[in-house]
Amino acid sequence: MINRLTDFSSGFGNAYFVTHLIAIVASYAVFFVTFSAAVLYLVQDNNLKRKHLGAMFNRLPDLSLLDKLTYRSIELGFPILSVAIIAGFLLQKDISGSYWNWNTKEVYSVVSWLLYAVTLHVRLSSKLRGKKVALLSILAFGIIVFSLFVGCGG
Amino acid sequence: MNLFVLGINHKTAPVNVREKLSFSDQEIVEANKKLVSKTSLNEGLILSTCNRVEIYGVSNDPDADHFGEIKGFLSDFHQLDPECFEDRLYNYNGDRVIRHLYRVASGLDSMVIGEMEILGQVKKAYHVAKESKTTGKILHRLFQKTFTTAKKIRTDTAITRGLVSVSSVAVKLAGKILGTLVDKEVLVVGAGQIGEQLMMFLKKNGIKSILVANRTFEKAQELAVKFNATAVKFEDFKEGLVESDIVIASTGAPHCLIRKQDVSEFMPRRRQRPLFIIDLAVPRDVESEVNDIDNAYLYDIDDLQGIVEKNIELRKNELENCDKIIADSCDKFLHWLQVEKAIKNDERYVDNRVAFK
Repeated sequence: MINRLTDFSSGFGNAYFVTHLIAIVASYAVFFVTFSAAVLYLVQDNNLKRKHLGAMFNRLPDLSLLDKLTYRSIELGFPILSVAIIAGFLLQKDISGSYWNWNTKEVYSVVSWLLYAVTLHVRLSSKLRGKKVALLSILAFGIIVFSLFVGCGG
Repeated sequence: MNLFVLGINHKTAPVNVREKLSFSDQEIVEANKKLVSKTSLNEGLILSTCNRVEIYGVSNDPDADHFGEIKGFLSDFHQLDPECFEDRLYNYNGDRVIRHLYRVASGLDSMVIGEMEILGQVKKAYHVAKESKTTGKILHRLFQKTFTTAKKIRTDTAITRGLVSVSSVAVKLAGKILGTLVDKEVLVVGAGQIGEQLMMFLKKNGIKSILVANRTFEKAQELAVKFNATAVKFEDFKEGLVESDIVIASTGAPHCLIRKQDVSEFMPRRRQRPLFIIDLAVPRDVESEVNDIDNAYLYDIDDLQGIVEKNIELRKNELENCDKIIADSCDKFLHWLQVEKAIKNDERYVDNRVAFK
């Protein structure tokens, strides 16, 4: 990608690139927190459902905190990811002349963005809570990680 | 200088015998004084709790029948026929007294193993005896070492860890599911002893409000007054599922009162907020499948008791470590005692020689 830096047709290209890069790294970092909280939620939920109250149960925080951490971090990460994706589109336009090229990287990014949007919506409207929200956010993060590998090839 | 103890506890005697021998806070100073003045004891201390009555003593007279004397003191003081408690007594002397006291103060001899209330009671008994001026050099030293040993056992072993009552386990679970309890509501269906104990515990942990429902409305009102709660009609208790975060069910109903379907139907109205259901009733009030619903956590009395028993087992596994610490402290004290005895003999020897001259 570095050698393409010189290919920018407009003067904003560099700004788009920097914005895209910073926002994408920041949002992935935040979503990693979401992912961790969600995994811990599932572990603790499983402990409580199966009445397995060992050392793990004692050490992990309460479900209410983990649930809050999960959706609050999505609240934080979602706008950052949105900025990253918009900057990505603008960058794409600069490089190839088109906002959308149907490459796998683009598709996966938008899918994970949509999934986080859905997760946040169902949680904030209290349609779902707890385990299913955790599962959704883990799926969304899985897609991000997957897109990273795909992105390397594409 | 002989150490001995004579006592009765929850293992050797039922409560109706123990209560006859126990000393109230008012009479214990007087009892301590009488104990030392009416027997050949040089030092004496009475430990009286609801689970045990023990008399610790030190005597310089090797020929006296200390146990007989103390038995006599007990029957005189309480005006009891010695026959009705005699065969319930246990007595130790020498190093076994030290070991016994260390075990008692560390909660190893208690009904609930590892409980720490007993240490406070032993401390109190010691201070009362000190006030009564019936303790001397040996009992002072013995009890000081007892407190250090008990503290060491508490910090160095896991004997006090793990919750060992149904109520404390339930409150811990509530915290792990709901986070802070300060803004949470409880619905209590039915009135039972454990239910009430649990309510008290939750109240102490800052629960916001309590709803009480019972088949006889008067009983619900009674409880409501006692716990500063709101009484609701039994027919309407299910409506309480919407607002409450914790449900305690303990009715005597022969069939399930809360079914899976009920809870699933209420979940959207509760905005999927987590619900912790504690079923203390036998037969059960809540269908066990309720636990399969997302964000609903059901624990019945067997689950809670199972956790308690497991924690007690874990404490029992620590006994070996505790005994090691006790044996160690015991040896140290015995050593001190022997040195003390030697010094005393030496003094006597010197005194005799002075007398001869």
